[in-house]
Order: sequence, then C-alpha cells, then structure tokens
Amino acid sequence: MTAAAGRSAPVRDDRQREDGGPRRRRWRPSQLEIVGMVAVVLVVGRSWVQEQVAYPAVEAGATVFVAIVTQATPFLVLGVLLSAAITAFVPPGFWIRALPSRPALAVPVAGAAGCMLPGCECASVPVAGSLMSRGVAPAAALAFLLSAPAINPIVVISTVVAFPGQPQMALARFVASLATAVAMGWLWLRLGRGEWLRIPDRSHLHGATPWHTFRLTAAHDFLHAGGFLVIGALAAAVMNVAMPTSWMQALADHPVLSVLGLALLAVVLSICSEADAFVAASFTSFSLTARLAFLVVGPMVDLKLFSMQAGLFGRAFATRFAPTTFAVAVGVSCLVGWWLLS
Amino acid sequence: MTKEIQGVVLTVLGIVVLRLAVGTAYLNYVKESLRPWLLVSGAVLVVLGVLTFVDVVLRRSVPDEEPESDDGHGHGHRGPRVAWLIFLPVVAVFVVAPPALGAFSAARSPAVPSLLNTSLPDLPAGDPVTLYLSDYVQRAVWDKGTTLTGRTVELTGFVLPQPGGGWQLARMQITCCAADAFASKVQPVGLPAADADLPANQWVTIRGRWVPGGSDGPGDEIPLVQVESLQRVEQPENPYD
Repeated sequence: MTAAAGRSAPVRDDRQREDGGPRRRRWRPSQLEIVGMVAVVLVVGRSWVQEQVAYPAVEAGATVFVAIVTQATPFLVLGVLLSAAITAFVPPGFWIRALPSRPALAVPVAGAAGCMLPGCECASVPVAGSLMSRGVAPAAALAFLLSAPAINPIVVISTVVAFPGQPQMALARFVASLATAVAMGWLWLRLGRGEWLRIPDRSHLHGATPWHTFRLTAAHDFLHAGGFLVIGALAAAVMNVAMPTSWMQALADHPVLSVLGLALLAVVLSICSEADAFVAASFTSFSLTARLAFLVVGPMVDLKLFSMQAGLFGRAFATRFAPTTFAVAVGVSCLVGWWLLS
Repeated sequence: MTKEIQGVVLTVLGIVVLRLAVGTAYLNYVKESLRPWLLVSGAVLVVLGVLTFVDVVLRRSVPDEEPESDDGHGHGHRGPRVAWLIFLPVVAVFVVAPPALGAFSAARSPAVPSLLNTSLPDLPAGDPVTLYLSDYVQRAVWDKGTTLTGRTVELTGFVLPQPGGGWQLARMQITCCAADAFASKVQPVGLPAADADLPANQWVTIRGRWVPGGSDGPGDEIPLVQVESLQRVEQPENPYD
C-alpha cells in the first residue's frame, strides 16, 4: 500500500503539467491520489481498525473471505491467461472449424471438451467468455462453462479420493455433470434469446502486437472477473458465519428435502470444485444422492459464480440461466443417483 | 477506473498473494500444496500490473483523456468499475490480517468428520505417539479405539469452551481453503483444577490415553481422552490438521 502512496507524487506532477496547471482553479484529486491517501490513512489507523473488527464472527468471516480469494486467485490467473491466449493467438476461424457446424452437435462436443481444462469454476468463466467472442455458438460455450469445472481429471481424482471404496460416486458425478451441461446447452438452443446474453466485446483490447493484445486481455479479464469474485466471496463468507447450523441436521432425514438442502448449501458455500468432494464426504448423515446433488450443483451454480456470470454475460442472462441450471442439475442428480448410487 | 489504478490494483493484489506465500501466513487460509501456485500467480499479477503502469508512462505524450464511452459493461475503455472491489481483500490481508479459524467456527461445525481412511493402520512406534486430532477422532469413533488401546498419545489443539462450563480440545481441518473447514473435537477428562477453565483459542498439547465413553449418538460422538499432562503452547505454524 505504501508503494501506491509513494507513486502518486510524480504522476500528479505529470498530470498538472498536461492539464496546464494554472488553468485549473480547484485542485481535484486523481483516482491515484485518492487511493494513495486512503492507503496512508489505513496504514496509520491500522490498530484502530483491528480493534473495531475484533469480534469472533467478523474475524471468522474475514478469514473465510480471504481464504476464498486466495484459493481462487491462482485458478483465476490460469483462466485469464488461457482466455487471453485464445483471444490473441488462436486464429478467429479455428473454433468454427474445430467444432461441428450444427450447434446441436457442437453442444455435446464442447461439453465433453470440458474435461481438458484442469481447474475449477473460476477458470472456466473467462475462457467461456472468450470462446463466445471468438464466434463459438453460445450454447456450446455454455455447455463448456458448466462441464469444465466438474469433469476435468483433477476433480474426478479428488472425488475418487474423497469417497474411498465408492468409485461409483466419481462416475455418477461425471455422468450427471456432463448430462446437465449438455441439457443446458440444448435448452439454450431451443429457448435462449440473443438479447438475454451479452457476448463480451473485446474489440477495444486490440494491441499493437499479439503479445500486447494478450497482455491487455489478461489484465482486463482479471480485473473484471476478480471484482465479481470478491462480491461472491463476501456473500459466501457472510453465509458461512451467519447460517444456523441446526437447519442441516433437521434436513438430513427427509429424502426430498435433503437433496434440495445440500443443493442449496452448495450454492451458498461456493466451495472450489476441487475441494467440494471432501466436504460432501463429511455429510455422513445425508444420502449419497443428496451428496451427488451437492457435487453437481456446486461447480455450476454458486454465489461467486453467479456474480461472475452476471458480470461477464449480463444480469438478464444470469438471473435466467442460474436458476434453470439449478433445477436441471438437481433433477439429473436424482435420476443418476437412482440409477448408479442405489 | 483509470489505467494507472488498474496497474496499481493488479500489482498490489500480486504483492498480497506473494506476501502471504513467502511467509507462513497463507497457512491460515489455504493448504500448503497451493504455495507454488500462489507464488506463480502473484508474480504474474505483479508483472501484468507493472506493465500496465509502464503503458501509461510511455503513452504520456499521447493525449490519454479518451471519451468515456460505456460499452454496457459499466465501464468504458478505461476498465471495469467492479475492479475497485479487489482492494477489499488487499485491505483485509494488510490491515485486518484475519487469524486462523478457531473456537467460533469449531462450535458451529458438526462433531464427527467422515471416515477418510477406510483402513486404520496400527499407530507408529514411540511413546507418546503424536497424532493429529482428526486421526484420533477417527480411530476412537470408527474403530472403537482398537488401535488406541494401551497407548499414550499427544494431541494438539485449541480450547473450545462449552456452554455448561469446561472445554473441549478442538482443531479445524481443511481440504482446500478455510471455507471448507470442519472441526475435530475431543473431550478431555481428569483435568487438573488449574486447567479446568482455559480461555477460548488457547492452544494446548495434551498427553493422555484413550478411554471408552463419550457422548454418543449418530454423527455427534465426542471421544474422550484421559489427561496425564497438559502444556500451553503457541499456535502451530500450520493451524489446521
């Protein structure tokens, strides 16, 4: 923070010279100066701020908040570097040649291609965005968006490890997640309307060279997705410390409510898809089908994802897409659970 | 958000991530295995941020007051407004520096973690043998204490005061980050009077033996440990199991 404060001085001089100093009567601080001043105030008043937040619930919430952001940052960086590479280095026509031209066929192909992106949901949002702006049919990009965080090798392996002696759990998760992703892609083809979806526009990010474009896109995508990640992490942290825990036990015994309860919990907790299998395994009082619903819903719909999707594709899209995905994911989980887990 | 601030946000967040990963502070939030990725992604962010700043300096000669044309993202060519929020985790780490999860979260967590290892091998040789609290709980609950019988164990955790007086020994376990944490809890019995009431979140190491009993009921079993000696200790470098 002090680095930011120290930098503000030379830039300010520069500004004033450009603006022709004397012309300006009143001094208006630049954004950089405001940030610098806030930083100085926070550094000086650090112990005072610490006293103000010294409540166990606030501290636990802050820990969960920092933990989600810290955990997500490497994956988000991976995602924006990939999406920037797609924008800068992959020729525009590539995806049109690589995917079947009929969208109805491109959806399952893109869904299955999700198993090639090792990472969690934070990485797949920017990648799906740049696929769309590169001319991939939105329905196919959406199938990829939903399937990638749930069916990639890292997630499958962690699910196998979390449920020792029950490999059918990993299989059920793979099948149910892929089926939900493809079903959502097809649903979008039939019912989706273009005006709901705002395809990210990257035309203003064209640099002088491909490397420059790469860098501009990566920085822009990180700032954008990162801001929405912060909103989601805040919401998840508040829920983490505010939700009454006794609710969960009451739900566990009811066959229908237990499925809905764990599916909703997945939305609220916003756990990374590489970790959620271990959490699901700890819900020993819930049925395997309920835990499957937790694992299928979590990587597709949760508070931080909703926030990131609303930011990238528009609120009109997210408010329609997320609840539908939730319903389809719960339905498919019940079917697959009945088929593979009973 | 001006280009300069975009550079500052990226750089400062990169510094935060590096700062957490260079020391041991990151262990309060995430697993040890994430460290190399934190170092790499922190460095990438710093490079991106510094280069964004360099862009600004190099383009000083060109008038940079572009018209603020909004593309419907809530931002024009100057960068997304929502990115201001990235300062929040920066402030949280540098100013608040939230501690590892403790008694507050342990009290809210269900009692028994799942059985992650189906086979529980015999305890390693040694007397006393140092065990993770979660390992002790699994052996006591799922194995009915078979592998613990007749052995002296050493358990480290923090004090979780109970509503009716007294306290339990607790430790949080994480699989990825603190958002997925759950607690292991053990009830010490035979505590010396001086240690019957300790402040919440005081870390202690208990040397003792497994004894049968403890509150039972599915999913709510807290195993016992007969205390032979108790030592107050500092919080371990890695506060989680």
